[in-house]
Amino acid sequence: MSELRIVNIEKQYGSLQQTGSRAFSLKPVDLAIQEGEFFSLLGPSGCGKTTLLKLVAGLLEADKGELWMGDADLTRVPPEARKFAMVFQQPLLFPHMTVEDNVAFGLKMQKSGKKERIERARNMLSRVGLEGYGRRFPNELSGGQQQRVALARALVTNPRLLLMDEPFSALDPSLREEMRELLGRIQKELRVTVVFVTHDREEAFHLSDRIGIMSEGELLQVGTAKELYEQPASTKVASFLGMKNIIPGAISEGRFAATSAGVDFPAAEAGLTGPAFLILRAETLQLMNSNAQTVRKDRWNFEGIVQSLRFNHGFYTCKVEMGGLELECSLSGQQVQSISRGQTVPLAVDLKDMYWVAQ
Amino acid sequence: MSQKIKPYLLLFPAVAAIVLLFFGGLFDGFLKSLGYFPALGETSFGIAAYNDLLNSEAFWDSLAVTLRIAALSSVIAALLGAAMAVSLFMLQASEKGRSSRFWQRLFQLPLTIPHLVGGYIIVLLFMQSGFLSKLAASAGWIGEITDFPVLVNDSFGWGIILAYAWKEAPFVSLMVYPVLARIHRSWRDVSRVFGAGNWDFIRDIVLPVMMPAWTIATFIVFVFTFSAFEVPFLLGVTYPSVLPVYSYQLYTSGTLADRPEALAVNIILAALTVLLGLVVYYFSKRWNVLKGWD
Repeated sequence: MSELRIVNIEKQYGSLQQTGSRAFSLKPVDLAIQEGEFFSLLGPSGCGKTTLLKLVAGLLEADKGELWMGDADLTRVPPEARKFAMVFQQPLLFPHMTVEDNVAFGLKMQKSGKKERIERARNMLSRVGLEGYGRRFPNELSGGQQQRVALARALVTNPRLLLMDEPFSALDPSLREEMRELLGRIQKELRVTVVFVTHDREEAFHLSDRIGIMSEGELLQVGTAKELYEQPASTKVASFLGMKNIIPGAISEGRFAATSAGVDFPAAEAGLTGPAFLILRAETLQLMNSNAQTVRKDRWNFEGIVQSLRFNHGFYTCKVEMGGLELECSLSGQQVQSISRGQTVPLAVDLKDMYWVAQ
Repeated sequence: MSQKIKPYLLLFPAVAAIVLLFFGGLFDGFLKSLGYFPALGETSFGIAAYNDLLNSEAFWDSLAVTLRIAALSSVIAALLGAAMAVSLFMLQASEKGRSSRFWQRLFQLPLTIPHLVGGYIIVLLFMQSGFLSKLAASAGWIGEITDFPVLVNDSFGWGIILAYAWKEAPFVSLMVYPVLARIHRSWRDVSRVFGAGNWDFIRDIVLPVMMPAWTIATFIVFVFTFSAFEVPFLLGVTYPSVLPVYSYQLYTSGTLADRPEALAVNIILAALTVLLGLVVYYFSKRWNVLKGWD
């Protein structure tokens, strides 16, 4: 097995005291990525994910830490000898070379014979859906086609690791989706290990086996999409994953209370005491039928005033106000028909769907 | 209507001066090279001057030395200039980029010095009684200053070649460097990830990118040195002299009968320059050097 191990790698950029800007530092990252895994680094712009990717590629030198691929220590190995490949945000094709020569560039650097590299380049081009485009120059292709060529250029060398730095962010949404499908399919076919940098949650969730969430130079949490979504390690992770219902309060004697909002219910499953945040996923808030209200012990029932209703990809996002808190829930078109803005509606959340993190 | 004519009217003085002085002079020279000399009572046309010239050993010796000097000067200037431009580019791309501006200015210094002054610098430095021979003699590397190789006013033309290589290398680098600036900074990262070392990057990316500008700059240097007069006049020998000096020698030899030959030399020089221009144009088209660039 040749898994990639990032051992306490860190990087500090020189302090820019003259300009008054804050110096950026990537805090120690410890991470193991399995062979054939699709791993995404997800985080907002400037969080250090590209820095981490460049450290792995060797394009930046780490201040501390080690990088291992199986039994090989790559910490001091220059990027040209790491046998990795990379796809950048821009296609960065060489304009004076044909598409075929661009794809074959890595093979040429590996000293493959001309015949062999052209044949392999053509095969890879047909794999990315660009059969017959080999003799063209990059400026004769569209942006999406150029990025396919960049992908083919990266894959043709059979890299032991494929690094991707927001490769689809410059493409329009439909093209992005198409490229996502293509990448997912090819990655599974070739079983290539991928480290993928993105700030797009949907993209990371769609493609990845595991995701690492980064913020302000720190790797906050690593897990599958489901784990991260259902059990975020902190409110930062939860907020980045789009969760709006984060209620500050405290847990004591098996009960969670947010006194200002008048919230008080059992929280024995929280597994912690003291100041805590309650995280409620929008889809766990259920609109109850006011006529047939059944109070159950395993459910928190409350009433909220509808603030707004917004149509959103086949469902509605409804904002309700409850004890000074604004909560967001997802409702179907049918449910929305019976409510309107300003109306007080009964809502409920199953206790098993609640999730707490310590403050 | 007047708006349409206006640009032409504005251009007219400059165009008239060029046509009258340059093409007029060239045409007058061409007519005289054909033996048309009304001042001498010669009003007929013939190719006697060309015949005599092409049958004279002095012309062929002169052409050979001219080609040799022009070719060596331009090749050395092209190599030096390219090396300078690539070094500056790599310096700029590296972390020590801040010092590149200083080096760039230093390398461009010879551009500000006139050719004739450059020629004199070569004389003062490289002649047998020059600075370098005295330095070598006083350091004990050579016994006498006469042991210093003859580099100025030598029959091979090393003095002229040195002068032009020194003077034109910055010109070549000045032409090539802005083209290198088109190289995307991230291309170095791309090439490194795909296994390219510094030399691979220069061979596969930098050289093809700079080739068009480099070819044109080298051609300009070649044409310039091919038809330049003052430096070979200063640093060359009486025989064999380069074609422009040979033409001057014929023109001022004292006999008016040599003048058509002197002018025929100039016409041949001009014709060869145009021919070389066409050859370079043909090859630059054929190599497709600009293909792919927007």
